[in-house]
Amino acid sequence: MRLELHKVSVRNVLWGDETKVERGTLFVNREEMLSVAMKDNRFARAELEFARPGESVRIIPVKDVIEPRCKLSGPGEVFPGFVGGMQTVGEGTTLVLDGAAVVTCGPIVAFQEGLIDMSGPAADYSPFSQTNNVVLVVEPVEGLDQHSYEAALREAGFRLGWYLADKCRDSKADEVKVYEMGGPVEESAKYPHLPKIAYFCMSITQGLLHDTFLYGADMKHLVPTLIHPNEKMDGAMVSGNCVSSCDKNTTWHHLNDPIVEELYSRHGKELVFLGVIPTLEDTRLAGKERTSWFNANLARMLGADGVVVSEEGYGNPDTDLCMNAAKCEKLGIRTVIISDEAAGTDGKSQGLADAAPEITAFVSAGNVNEMVELPVMDRILGYDSSISNLSGGAEESLRKDGSMFVELQAIIGSTNELGFSRIGARWI
Amino acid sequence: MVREIENSAGIPVVQIATIVPIMLTVGANRIVPGVAIPHPVGDPSRGAEGDRAVRRELLERALRAIQTPVEEQTIFTS
Repeated sequence: MRLELHKVSVRNVLWGDETKVERGTLFVNREEMLSVAMKDNRFARAELEFARPGESVRIIPVKDVIEPRCKLSGPGEVFPGFVGGMQTVGEGTTLVLDGAAVVTCGPIVAFQEGLIDMSGPAADYSPFSQTNNVVLVVEPVEGLDQHSYEAALREAGFRLGWYLADKCRDSKADEVKVYEMGGPVEESAKYPHLPKIAYFCMSITQGLLHDTFLYGADMKHLVPTLIHPNEKMDGAMVSGNCVSSCDKNTTWHHLNDPIVEELYSRHGKELVFLGVIPTLEDTRLAGKERTSWFNANLARMLGADGVVVSEEGYGNPDTDLCMNAAKCEKLGIRTVIISDEAAGTDGKSQGLADAAPEITAFVSAGNVNEMVELPVMDRILGYDSSISNLSGGAEESLRKDGSMFVELQAIIGSTNELGFSRIGARWI
Repeated sequence: MVREIENSAGIPVVQIATIVPIMLTVGANRIVPGVAIPHPVGDPSRGAEGDRAVRRELLERALRAIQTPVEEQTIFTS
């Protein structure tokens, strides 16, 4: 399977008569893009705003972040099941507006959404302080139930991500990256002496606005399956989550999964990358058992020597994490887990809610309870009063002058468990 | 909290929660497995009557558990 990512570099974003990229600047036709956003009668109003790196801007509450992508050739369309039809993706060529992002924002959908600061101390914690953001701020129609509102905002994000890329499809790529790899049988035969590694991408699948979608299918109704890493880059997995913002995998994270990137770069040299196993975090104990058995068994049938396991969220998913590692280890498959920790504001509490003696390799993505001081910003996109309802925030978090004192978990992507952040932890 | 109530106040505690491994890890002594994380002590998918039956059964099981002497961490599955 061969996929070319044609990356068009975006270093600034401005309004213009025509949506296009010119010499690193993304011009956006505001009216046209708004009309794409409003192709949903569940929105009463919508606004588009820009938030650029270094600006004194706070975006709150953020639901999802989407990197603009569209297919230039090859079967299907990005975000299959939402934007395109229903066909497997991951082949051909895909245009990427590298350095641009669509950020979806509106009155709070659920209590675990977060914020992005484009400058100041919080900017260091989120990758989205470095992207040129086109921010969609919506207001749902009166009486719209939360689940429909979540779906509307989620789908609008994909629609706008595709729209921006589609309008720039004639742009010349600044960089072309090729991702080419066969299936696990073929690649294992090519490199018989290299260790074979699979990747479990654990995803929040708990209902009540905590969901992940695979080819449009609500993953909480699935059992774990196998996909080619290229499929992830074309948006096969997307976020429908309002889970704790510090460690949610936004759609942008799925598209730019650093674990996929790293395993790919080592494929054929240090290891054989067998593929991605999108897996669940069930709300029932029996579901957690079923899922982890499926995962371990899939890894065994693929002939895996080792597995990288990433978590999404924290708390009860820590049990899925432990079960996934323990069951693989018992089968003789080595594991490494990547997770953040909820170790209290002083960092002294137990990091994970669960534990398993079989876990011998753990990469920490940081402590979600660490407190951070956020200064006043000149401009607020969205609704800053919503901090009192966000995870990591409280009623007293927002001070009269507009500054905030919050836990790290209020910042989108700050302790991302795919490892897409600048912080980590080490033993002392 | 479960351990502290038992240790400090000497009052036996039964914990009803969904994820049994976490209860084992934190050291609960009397464990009654709950239904699911969003609804540990009921099952709305079974309708109002079914939900009520599940609730009653769990409560009665918990009351039995609290009266049962235990020597080690014990899971009450029935």
